[in-house]
Amino acid sequence: MLIENMAMAFSAIRANKMRSFLTMLGIIIGIGSVISIVSIGDTMRGLFSDLYKNVGITQAYLAIGYWVDDVRQSDYFTLEELARVKEVFGDQIAYIDSGATTSAEAIYKRNTINFDYTGIDYNYIDVQPVNIVYGRYLNEGDILGRKKNVVMNVDSAKMLFGEENAVGKTFRTTLYGYTDVFTVVGVYKEEINAFQALMMGGRTDRGSAFIPYTLLTWPNDYFYYLHLYASDDVNLDEFFNQLKTYVAKLKGRQPEDMRLETAMDQMLQVDSMMGGLSMAVGGIAAISLLVGGIGIMNIMLVSVTERTREIGIRKSLGAKTRDILIQFLTESAILSACGGIIGISIGVGLVSLGGLALGINVIIKPGVIIMAVSFSAIVGIFFGIYPASKAAKADPIDALRYE
Amino acid sequence: MANWKQIMLRGAKLKSRIFRSRKIPSYLTENVTEDLIVLKNLVKVYDTGSIKVLGLKKINLTIKRGEFVAIMGKSGSGKSTLMNILGCLDRPSLGHYYLDGIDTASMSPNELSEIRNYKIGFVFQSFNLISRTSALKNVELPMTYARRGKKERRERAMELLKRVGLESRADHMPNELSGGQRQRVAIARALANEPPLILADEPTGNLDTAASEEIMQLFSDLHKEGATVVVVTHEENIAAFTDRIIRFQDGVVLEDTKTEKKGEETC
Repeated sequence: MLIENMAMAFSAIRANKMRSFLTMLGIIIGIGSVISIVSIGDTMRGLFSDLYKNVGITQAYLAIGYWVDDVRQSDYFTLEELARVKEVFGDQIAYIDSGATTSAEAIYKRNTINFDYTGIDYNYIDVQPVNIVYGRYLNEGDILGRKKNVVMNVDSAKMLFGEENAVGKTFRTTLYGYTDVFTVVGVYKEEINAFQALMMGGRTDRGSAFIPYTLLTWPNDYFYYLHLYASDDVNLDEFFNQLKTYVAKLKGRQPEDMRLETAMDQMLQVDSMMGGLSMAVGGIAAISLLVGGIGIMNIMLVSVTERTREIGIRKSLGAKTRDILIQFLTESAILSACGGIIGISIGVGLVSLGGLALGINVIIKPGVIIMAVSFSAIVGIFFGIYPASKAAKADPIDALRYE
Repeated sequence: MANWKQIMLRGAKLKSRIFRSRKIPSYLTENVTEDLIVLKNLVKVYDTGSIKVLGLKKINLTIKRGEFVAIMGKSGSGKSTLMNILGCLDRPSLGHYYLDGIDTASMSPNELSEIRNYKIGFVFQSFNLISRTSALKNVELPMTYARRGKKERRERAMELLKRVGLESRADHMPNELSGGQRQRVAIARALANEPPLILADEPTGNLDTAASEEIMQLFSDLHKEGATVVVVTHEENIAAFTDRIIRFQDGVVLEDTKTEKKGEETC
């Protein structure tokens, strides 16, 4: 019976090709836009989470809370304390430094470039891998000896020295009021994709370089942040809690006085915001599905009126109310489902094409497709109920007489 | 063991609910009475709001199994009303209509659908084939509503088309057939569920003389094979094919005569 109904529905849809297509168009546009919008949202979320993965998902900053009024000298960290934290948590900490950055002019001959310096420990390369193309990375000796050595990226080297291989070259810069000569010991290259470049503002006229973090804690050796990467295999929540409690105790503070900012929290925040956004826009697109559904109802009502006589014939041959109801419901559901399928292909096609053009891996969740199809079928059935019940209730005598 | 039986029983119930293979009431498939049609004090009132019109006034009529009957009358005589009631498309206002022993007055619209499906084969003046649907599919339709299997339907429909001489036109659409051919498809369709009653409403009204003759000959043959055929018509030469003519006027039976024109035995 179901197969017969489907065959009947298809022949009815085929009989009015143009009308059926126009009716489906509402659903096609609705489903197509829902799928593309939700997929674009999911793709953006994926890109952001990739970005955070590159930055380091286990990364965190710990400092005294900005809400604490009586900030004391002892709230600042010392190198001894940093070493102690490192010792206490051992393997759980993959990397730790003072999280200090600064900017200053770098001067080479007549060339003056603004540089951003990031103070790092020698094992920073383990958590933020870069590709050393010339020279070497900073080593333990540089850090402990507070050597004025730097590692910079190829673009910065080109900007300051006019060539990529700047190993051994020196330049002057002023940190915390002391002007010193710095030596380039290595040049690295980092791979970033188009999206990251976009998010980071692309190429700038500023240089950037790594220097030993001990240079930035100098001269008074107090610093505000602990900047660390947890090991990949630790339970982040648990570890960060322990860390916070331990450091608070070390500082004679309550854990709630400490400010802990983790990359994970930020990522989740951005992710939930993006998720909410794409849901909201998808919801707006879903309204067009509703409009499409009304279109289906309208055309089904026309179809029922046109086929009143057919309904009468079927009833005289023994069709029950339910048979007629199911026949017309099947027709509207198929109409809507066909629109849904075409809509999916268009939506998926557009998004994939866009992804291909931008060189981004698009994320199309099967759940979205399943949801879209079921939603379109539900729309078809829901908006088919009224016309179908109208058909089913028709009086056979009146229906047979209908011209 | 008992548990298993219960589970199996429940499974079977569920299956029948899902596939709707519910048992057909025996009154639909069995031939119960000798008198196929019994009308007792049948009254049909049309309520048009302000006035009530009597369509049929206390009709008493019996048609036996195997009869070939013509119902005649001018328009407005009540013959269409009677046709609708005989065809279970409408219910009497008062009185009783027993079709094969079933009192149709107490039936719900869905039960009437079942009765039409199993007990009555309709042949209409305007053929009433379903458009864009092949002759074969049209003949299959009553069997589809009776939930018969696909293979069985197809075989029986082919057989019936052969019976009316249209097996070569099985895949033709109604608009590709002539009037006479369409009516023959309609007759094949009427025979699909082997109903005890064939009800034809002006079956030759849209046909030329030759085709009319053909169709009436077909009814005549069916009658000879044992079918009960009731033809509603206003043409004397069509009525002449039958064994019994019931004339209507103003909602009452005017005349009920048995013709012996063809020298056959009367009922």
